[in-house]
Amino acid sequence: MKKKVLLMGASGSGKTSMRSMIFSNNPASLTSRLGATIDVEQNHVRFLGDLILNLWDCGGQDAFMDSYLSTQRSVIFSHVGVMIYVFDVESREMEKDLEYYRDCLEGLSQFSKNANVFLLVHKVDLVREAERNTVVERKVEELEKASGETPVKVFSTSIYDESLYKAWSNIVNTLIPNARNLSKHLRIFAEACNATEVILFERTTFLVIATSSHADSSDAFPSDPVALHALDPKRYERTSELIKAFKQSCSRLREEFRSLEMELAEFTAVLDEMTKNTYVLVVVHDPVIETAAIRMNICMARKKFEELQGDSLVSEK
Amino acid sequence: MSSSPQNYSAVANSHTNGTIRRTKILLLGTRRSGKTSLFQVLFNGFPLKQAFYLEPTMRVAKHLVDTVIPLEIWDCPGNITVDTLGASLADFATIVFVIDIRDLYQQPVSKLVEFIVAACQVNPDINFEVFVHKAERLQEDDKLENFRQIHERVMDRLIDESPEFEQFPLNFHLTSIYDHSLREAFSLVLHKLIESLPYLEDLLNVFCANTASPKAFLFDTSSKIHVATDTSPVDQATHNLCCDYLSMLNSFGPLYRSNAINDPRTSRDSPATTPPPTATPLSPASGSVSASPGVPLASPPKPPFFPCAATSLSPSHPGTTLTYHLVTPHLALLALLPTTVYEVRRGLVEWNVVWFREGVREIWEVEKERSAGEVV
Repeated sequence: MKKKVLLMGASGSGKTSMRSMIFSNNPASLTSRLGATIDVEQNHVRFLGDLILNLWDCGGQDAFMDSYLSTQRSVIFSHVGVMIYVFDVESREMEKDLEYYRDCLEGLSQFSKNANVFLLVHKVDLVREAERNTVVERKVEELEKASGETPVKVFSTSIYDESLYKAWSNIVNTLIPNARNLSKHLRIFAEACNATEVILFERTTFLVIATSSHADSSDAFPSDPVALHALDPKRYERTSELIKAFKQSCSRLREEFRSLEMELAEFTAVLDEMTKNTYVLVVVHDPVIETAAIRMNICMARKKFEELQGDSLVSEK
Repeated sequence: MSSSPQNYSAVANSHTNGTIRRTKILLLGTRRSGKTSLFQVLFNGFPLKQAFYLEPTMRVAKHLVDTVIPLEIWDCPGNITVDTLGASLADFATIVFVIDIRDLYQQPVSKLVEFIVAACQVNPDINFEVFVHKAERLQEDDKLENFRQIHERVMDRLIDESPEFEQFPLNFHLTSIYDHSLREAFSLVLHKLIESLPYLEDLLNVFCANTASPKAFLFDTSSKIHVATDTSPVDQATHNLCCDYLSMLNSFGPLYRSNAINDPRTSRDSPATTPPPTATPLSPASGSVSASPGVPLASPPKPPFFPCAATSLSPSHPGTTLTYHLVTPHLALLALLPTTVYEVRRGLVEWNVVWFREGVREIWEVEKERSAGEVV
């Protein structure tokens, strides 16, 4: 199954560096070496084995934008699964950015009515920490107003912290057809392990695909172990960030990260391969449970999850 | 007196009322050479991006740091001289002099020479370490060229002072807060101050021999400085990986910490609160397979809990596993092991860790007693 993802935004807003960090495992320090994208760079990224993301990284210079909106209009805007529009938080030409953005929305409504739209307020690390919240809030308001009727999701992001992973995990989640089903099975698995939480990651990007906890507020499910333990709300994206960084350090030694087990003062956890394309993190707070037991459970759950993953993608075709 | 980090100060207070003998390190350098940021990054986990905004140090700040030995680090303002320091140079075990690699060398070099001459009169045993700092600002070639030049300048000026200084033991390190070179350099500085270092190294050697480990480090967990390592040469890439591994584990801890009121884990003993296990004194060599186990871990009511972790790395066939075992509240053993050894003989590996821990704890106790005893 193929999904088309449009990456749009003004020139220099950070589309390509974002892409290179998430999908090519480049560290943030190397993004300054990237040149401007000319016209459209198409990439096929295999995600979760059978799901192929067809990334259209669209160069943002005015001349290109004008041509996307006129002569290339039907090519660019048809069959779009997701459009990601990137705004530089310090952009000096917000008026112009918004105008192009509205034109793109119009193109989408003409050719792909069901596309999801995500807006990223990018490079928030440039704003002083004290002012960050207010600046972002103002931007969000402005962008929501500009979007009119179209439902959009806005994230503030920076390549220097975990916010990038949060946004992309959310984006990718809309593309996975059976996320709910996976979640349900993860819950059963978590119960079997007596785990507080089980998190499923995609193998190469380490984006979060599904978790055992209920997505919405903790009030609705008071018996949910995660709610009981009141875990850090940023844990998913921080985990993605930490593991990605460690993978990079391993690759500097020409080693490849394979698995991790921890028995720390705060919790016990195992991070290991679940299926060909996923990693699973099992977090346990019960001090009696040993890592070997968790490993064994992962081993036994593998077959089921391979099936689940296979099923979902076939049925969607 | 100072803003020492919480996790250190807790231990500092538990020893005595703060009246223990501390090994003193003096941090010197001209203004804006990076003394304070260097200290903050090493011992307070200071975010690198904030280093730019640090205010200049106006008066001497004394920081108490407890690693394997208790340290007192004096962070000085740039304009300090031998006379305005307010203490005799005889009190210091080591002077770390920081030079910005892009600076004009005239001023810092004369200042360094001034301190060397003054120190040698009162304290001939003092260690002098020169950190050629902010190395990340230059390209590889320029970096080495400037490093060499500074070295040469300092030695020339010293010989001008007096020909006796020709053999003066002065150590130069190329450092940067943006990679692990700073930690490596500071480890070397620290090694000279730890009197029990040979015993720690022996313990590590025995551990490596018993577990077929190619490399093992004893790290200070929060500053990520390695306190000791076995005698095989240190490969920089391996050292960097261990540092990265340690910082990942340090960040994971609080990330999934349970904030529940009755978390079963909080009732569990952490090594910080347990007294060291009372085992019969054993030299590391006798901690081999023949010794009888069971004494240290079997104290029935609450067995002490020591955090540990392991990560396995492929793809080279036997593969490597990187293990982490906390030994004392602030020291951890990091070892590279062949994955086959770790998977097949994990019990034996852990058993060796127990004896290693015993040895380190004994040394730690002795060091603690000594530093407390010398005051009384």
